[in-house]
Amino acid sequence: MMAILKRELKSYFLTPMGYIYMGFFLLVAGVFFTFGNLITRSSQYTGFLGGILFIYLFAVPLLTMRLFSEEKRQRTDQLLLTSPISIPEVVLGKFLAAFTVYLITLAITVMYAIVVGVYGDLSFWETLGAYIGFIFLGASYISVGVFVSAGTENQLTSALVSFFSLLMIWLIDPISNSLPVDLVAGIIFASLLVIALCAYIYINTKNFYITVAVFLLGAIVITAAYFIDKVVFIGFMRKFFSWFSLNKRYENFSMGLLKVDSLVYYLTFTGLFLFLTVRLMEKQRWV
Amino acid sequence: MIEAKDLVKRYGPHTAVDHATFKIERGEIVGFLGPNGAGKTTTMNMLTGYLSSTEGTVTVDGMNILEHPLEVKRRIGYLPENPPLYPEMTVREYLQFAGEIKKVPKQELSKRIDEVMWKVGITDVMGRLVKNLSKGYKQRVGLAQAMIGKPDILILDEPTAGLDPKQILEIRQLIKELGKTHTVILSSHILPEVSAVCKRILIINQGKIVADDTPENLAKRLLGGSHLLLRIDGTPQQVEATLQKVPDVKKLSFKESQERGTVEVVVESDKDKDIRRDISKALGSAGLPILMMRSLDMTLEEIFLHLTTKEEEVAKV
Ligand SMILES: Nc1ncnc2c1ncn2[C@@H]1O[C@H](COP(=O)(O)OP(=O)(O)O)[C@@H](O)[C@H]1O
Ligand SMILES: [Mg+2]
Repeated sequence: MMAILKRELKSYFLTPMGYIYMGFFLLVAGVFFTFGNLITRSSQYTGFLGGILFIYLFAVPLLTMRLFSEEKRQRTDQLLLTSPISIPEVVLGKFLAAFTVYLITLAITVMYAIVVGVYGDLSFWETLGAYIGFIFLGASYISVGVFVSAGTENQLTSALVSFFSLLMIWLIDPISNSLPVDLVAGIIFASLLVIALCAYIYINTKNFYITVAVFLLGAIVITAAYFIDKVVFIGFMRKFFSWFSLNKRYENFSMGLLKVDSLVYYLTFTGLFLFLTVRLMEKQRWV
Repeated sequence: MIEAKDLVKRYGPHTAVDHATFKIERGEIVGFLGPNGAGKTTTMNMLTGYLSSTEGTVTVDGMNILEHPLEVKRRIGYLPENPPLYPEMTVREYLQFAGEIKKVPKQELSKRIDEVMWKVGITDVMGRLVKNLSKGYKQRVGLAQAMIGKPDILILDEPTAGLDPKQILEIRQLIKELGKTHTVILSSHILPEVSAVCKRILIINQGKIVADDTPENLAKRLLGGSHLLLRIDGTPQQVEATLQKVPDVKKLSFKESQERGTVEVVVESDKDKDIRRDISKALGSAGLPILMMRSLDMTLEEIFLHLTTKEEEVAKV
């Protein structure tokens, strides 16, 4: 794992990619800081941080696009996959490399906070909370980029797909607000989820009995939930999709509130996408 | 030491490797020989754990590759068709990385890198960027990567493809040298390539292993009888009926003839019998004029072509 992490970090700075990412992020952040805080003499630092969050929509794909795509193009994935190193190690190493570059870049922006602290009035706890939020939020974004990169052979495709995936995650809140919230819609959606799960299980295991068992179990749970507490289905679809909404939970942090469940959420989200990456890579060997 | 049992790889409806079964013992140098698209690379990718097989098993030292992937991978060094190099690294940095993921102990790694660089002759370019190396040097760096983890088995996919004649000789020499201390499996679509270094040849065609023997035995097996190529004015039925009556004729294989209304046939007989006169007389009295008669002294090259183009006939030999 360390070997992968080290090589990947080196490669960020042996190729222009690391500099492009840092340059792009710091440039845009700097412009925002100059116009939002310096010129207007504003001490609103968490407002600044909330404002620059959108840069990651463009910057994270730059950071993750080559992680796996480039290995496939160069066929170096053959070296990794025939060496005595496990796929989770490879995925974790690459993720941590991207995350390290992310953290280094983020650390540089602490300078701005110091400027505000010296010349203005910095609300320390809120700023600290916002930075902690950035760390966890960034890990989640990067995990999406890592997953997309593992599915593509072309860097540009990888970057574009990552961008649109992050954009979707970004827009989940407004979109899910327009989803139907009534009981019937909730039940239909829950049933579709069970069917999708069954299809996934059947395609992967080709085992008829397990699939039927899962289907029956799903049907029982839905029926039971219906008779016990119908309310769970109200707005179920919205609740389901808003689970993927990364940004909503960030707001607590910038108010200086450290919520354990939000941290657990971000870690779960990151872990889920890294796990999916491992699964995807394993699957590609079975084509 | 390395054993494949009923190995199958399907890509959709296409079967790239079709029930390949073989066993390679410690210290052997084995060549996979077959035309392009025969399934050599696919087989090697399954042996090294890069691809999973659709059916069948690979075991190394008694361990199934699916159950003990890391232990098996430790024992194998793989040089794929395109050496898996990182262009932006220097040769030494690259080998450092390769050594680390091959789990070479930290304190030994530096010495080990020097050792393999010296063995494959790349010490003088160790500070150069991989992307600036010639094809021959890249191949050597690839070989160094395969060797760095001290594997017992080296699997080399077309190790001399794309090199110039001088580089080919050098790499061949290197492989022979490595064969003294490793089990080596290499592939090629060129016969001299394989017969120059291998003690055993597996001929693969359309995903199937059609022959598995030493180069000498392969030659003997097919040259066991003597072969005559005949072109005769007549129909295959007439010719077959006539020739079958000639004593000592072991086998007839008909071929497409260039000339209209004629038949080409390869007649096989025991090595020590000269049946040319008998054939001549028999065909003459049957009213089938011989337009050409030539003895076929098959080279290994011809055997290879024969095996990969007319495998049905050879199966009967
Ligand atoms: N990823 C793939 N998808 C579909 N077909 C493939 C794939 N890889 C190889 N093949 C097919 O499998 C066959 C064997 O290929 P390969 O093992 O590369 O042959 P060789 O190395 O002997 O030239 C070929 O017909 C090739 O077209
Ligand atoms: Mg090949």
